[in-house]
Amino acid sequence: VKRWIGIGISVALVAAAPWILGTPYWRGILVVCAMNVLLALSLNLVIGYTGQLNLGQSAFYAIGAYVSTILMKTYGWNFWLAALAAVLGAGVVGLALAAFAVRLRGHYLAIASLGFAVITYQVLVNWESMTEGVRGIYGILPPVGSTLGLFYLVAGIAVVVYLLLDNLVRSPIGETLRAIREDEVSAASLGVNGAVWKAFAFGLGAAIAGLAGCFYPGFVGTLVPDAFNIVESFTMMAMVIVGGMGTMIGPVIGAIVLTLLPEVLRGFGELRLLVYGLALTLVVLFMPGGMVQAWQALRARFA
Amino acid sequence: VSDLAALIAQQSINGIYLGCLYVMVALGLTLIYGVLNQINFAHADFVTVGAFTAFFTVTRFATKALGLPDTGGYLLSLFTALGAGAILGILVNAIVFSPLRKAGADELRPLIATIGISVLLENGQLALFGPIPYQFDSPFAKETIRFGPLFFSQQSLLVVIVSVAAIAGLYAFMRFTFLGKALRAVAQDRETAGLMGINQNLVIAMTIVIASAFAGMGGALLGPVVVLTPFAGASLIVKAFAIVIIGGFGNMEGTIVAGLLVGIIEAFTVQYLGSGLIDLVVFALLLVMLVFRPTGLIAERKEENV
Repeated sequence: VKRWIGIGISVALVAAAPWILGTPYWRGILVVCAMNVLLALSLNLVIGYTGQLNLGQSAFYAIGAYVSTILMKTYGWNFWLAALAAVLGAGVVGLALAAFAVRLRGHYLAIASLGFAVITYQVLVNWESMTEGVRGIYGILPPVGSTLGLFYLVAGIAVVVYLLLDNLVRSPIGETLRAIREDEVSAASLGVNGAVWKAFAFGLGAAIAGLAGCFYPGFVGTLVPDAFNIVESFTMMAMVIVGGMGTMIGPVIGAIVLTLLPEVLRGFGELRLLVYGLALTLVVLFMPGGMVQAWQALRARFA
Repeated sequence: VSDLAALIAQQSINGIYLGCLYVMVALGLTLIYGVLNQINFAHADFVTVGAFTAFFTVTRFATKALGLPDTGGYLLSLFTALGAGAILGILVNAIVFSPLRKAGADELRPLIATIGISVLLENGQLALFGPIPYQFDSPFAKETIRFGPLFFSQQSLLVVIVSVAAIAGLYAFMRFTFLGKALRAVAQDRETAGLMGINQNLVIAMTIVIASAFAGMGGALLGPVVVLTPFAGASLIVKAFAIVIIGGFGNMEGTIVAGLLVGIIEAFTVQYLGSGLIDLVVFALLLVMLVFRPTGLIAERKEENV
């Protein structure tokens, strides 16, 4: 029951947000917020629940954005069909990468996924006949006309994805993933096929990042490779870790805070990444469980 | 035929020169990994800081305040950049590696923390220096040495001499001094070395400082080559990782061979495929290595613990 009350309050907050922050500018920020929540959720599944340090999530975000846009602009598909293909595409590429990445652990996986993100970026820049390279693709229309509608669409999807993932991590599958994170060898001795489940989490995370990518080009109106620089992977990671990785609500809060904070600190607007870098370093050093851990510590002190 | 041979020889020379620069950067990464089993993700940003330090040493301090000639200023800047790198090494050890090691953190936390430091350094320098590339001219780059059909700049000769000297110095240090032997002992087995009375904390701190000093000095050598912006290191770090993995993490000889190899591959990629494809080629090689030979070109000495 407590869970349903929480869901109800959250949905009400999401519904009210564009009316509290009613200007077009702030509604735009809210759309970014919703996309970042989706990205943070996708990465958290891989880093937080399965313990795989994936530094290449920006690549799947890019694949979602480019596949959906090219299918729409060049081949005339409608948005939803293109989005479906883009999500599947990102998921399949994620599975393919995972197929060999699951053999790698720790640092090697981090570097391999980073290398994959760099290769993806270079392909976007160099495959000009398909992606227009650094010139970019222009005049991309969002799936719904108004910013308000787009916010409700992306936020609605984020809520649905959250609930589905929440159910997933509570299920036996979630326990399996956590067991692999804690000790893969022990999990294997209990008959858990670590490689398969790690690839599953990696592929699902990639598909969700691809889903977020479908909404980005229509919102901005243009698509250039620089939007998917490897720094994007680091900002997603900052959201997951500052919020509290390995919890469901932490990355959501991290995504919202790290999207809104630079906007509130107006003077830092152009130095958004400075805030991210500082937050990431401080949290890892002093509060590895993120804001969720800080909140629990506060509650323990006063309750 | 002789034209082709000359071309190949010329590109090999360019490749070795580039490779020496990469070795200067990658060696520090591998040194830290060998001793600490950790990655300093901000390592290449130390290179950028070194490059900016060298740039301002040459343009502001050496020629204006000290009245040195251009060449002397550049040589001096190698050492100020080295010092800047060493200071960053002391800081990153004190802020990240030492506290997290004492807290018994898992292997990924220091990596993530140094990613934060990297983002911080890049954007801090962006705030200080702006996004427009700096024109860092080495006075040695103007003088060309001809050798039959081959030619190269004095700068590339200087790069090769300085990096070979630095690497030779490091080898001599590790081979013949007590601290160097302690370093190797800690790299081999940290606990046993500790039981033998070796002060691990000191050795680890020293390793990080040496590695970072190499990165800083590498910055002074790379400054005139790269597009000098606050993000110069970002494009370098991925290549340095590729070199370190191709060479085998923690393996110094392997890293030197891999660095030269990547430099030569890069020179020939520019010649035959175009400069836009360098990263693609290098990373394709990295992924192939990870699939077929994750322990690097030269076989690993120790098994990874489960």
